[in-house]
Amino acid sequence: MSDETLHGEEAVLRDYLGHFRRTFEQKCADLDAEQLARRSVPPSTLSLLGLVRHLAAVEYSWWRRVMGHDLALPKMWGKDVHRDADFDGAVADDEVVAEAWAAWRAEVAYAEEFQATHPMDHLGQHDDGPIEMREVVVHLIEEYARHCGHADLLRECIDGRTGS
Amino acid sequence: MSELPTLRRWLGDFREAVERKTSDLDAEQLARRAVPPSTLSLLGLVRHLAQLEHYWFWKVLQRHPEDPQLFVVDGDWESQFDGAAADPALVEEAFTTWRATCAQADAFLDGLPGEALDVVIDPGDRIETIRDVLVQVLQEYARHLGHMDLLRETIDGRTGE
Repeated sequence: MSDETLHGEEAVLRDYLGHFRRTFEQKCADLDAEQLARRSVPPSTLSLLGLVRHLAAVEYSWWRRVMGHDLALPKMWGKDVHRDADFDGAVADDEVVAEAWAAWRAEVAYAEEFQATHPMDHLGQHDDGPIEMREVVVHLIEEYARHCGHADLLRECIDGRTGS
Repeated sequence: MSELPTLRRWLGDFREAVERKTSDLDAEQLARRAVPPSTLSLLGLVRHLAQLEHYWFWKVLQRHPEDPQLFVVDGDWESQFDGAAADPALVEEAFTTWRATCAQADAFLDGLPGEALDVVIDPGDRIETIRDVLVQVLQEYARHLGHMDLLRETIDGRTGE
């Protein structure tokens, strides 16, 4: 692989998305179910566990529904019926935690496989019309980055940990 | 939409989001460290974002490495945040400076052809091309908007993009 390829659009965007997925995972490390589910910055109802469930649903929706041209697929966590189910269902229970991480990891694996086998101008189908894969990847980077900002403050309020 | 307009649209959207997240607040609210133990405040973040735009678009891309970093006093990085006191003059200074650096960055980006994204500015560095710079600035904005979301909600309950 030449240097040019390494630093082209696709490599840069893939690296950033991978970086934020890892950053988000690290923000949630070494915490128990109660800490992960804690709404540690009231009045916000956000929790780290809610964000895990939310990001699993976000990955699922963009890659399977939009890029997979299957908008009829039901949303994750029953979000078609209950829009905030990802956050509201994030309760302090080890099984809920395990289920959330399993869902997130499965969707990230699916996404990485899809990205590796399709070009950046591959078209998906969004509610508003066709959308290129590059738009989806940039959107995901910005969405992860913003949620990592939430995770920064949630985590600092749980146990004081900052950084990365 | 091709790559450069896509990245610039994101940058514009984020700047507008910062305006919304900081609007209708007084100096005390803007300077409030609303989510302790974090020392972040909305005003500190606006000063930091001015520094960010100025650093990448002016010092690095327009090659003015000798210019001082905005809001960094005597090499103390934390002064961007620590100096964000509840003073209307400091608020005015922060927003005027941030908006001016954004306008200056836009004037530069307006003259950039799409293929310039591949131009190498710092060989071998993690942030090596103009594309890398834009993506770096965007992800910084996004993450700090995440901080602003929670600061603002804690200050007066306002949420939203």
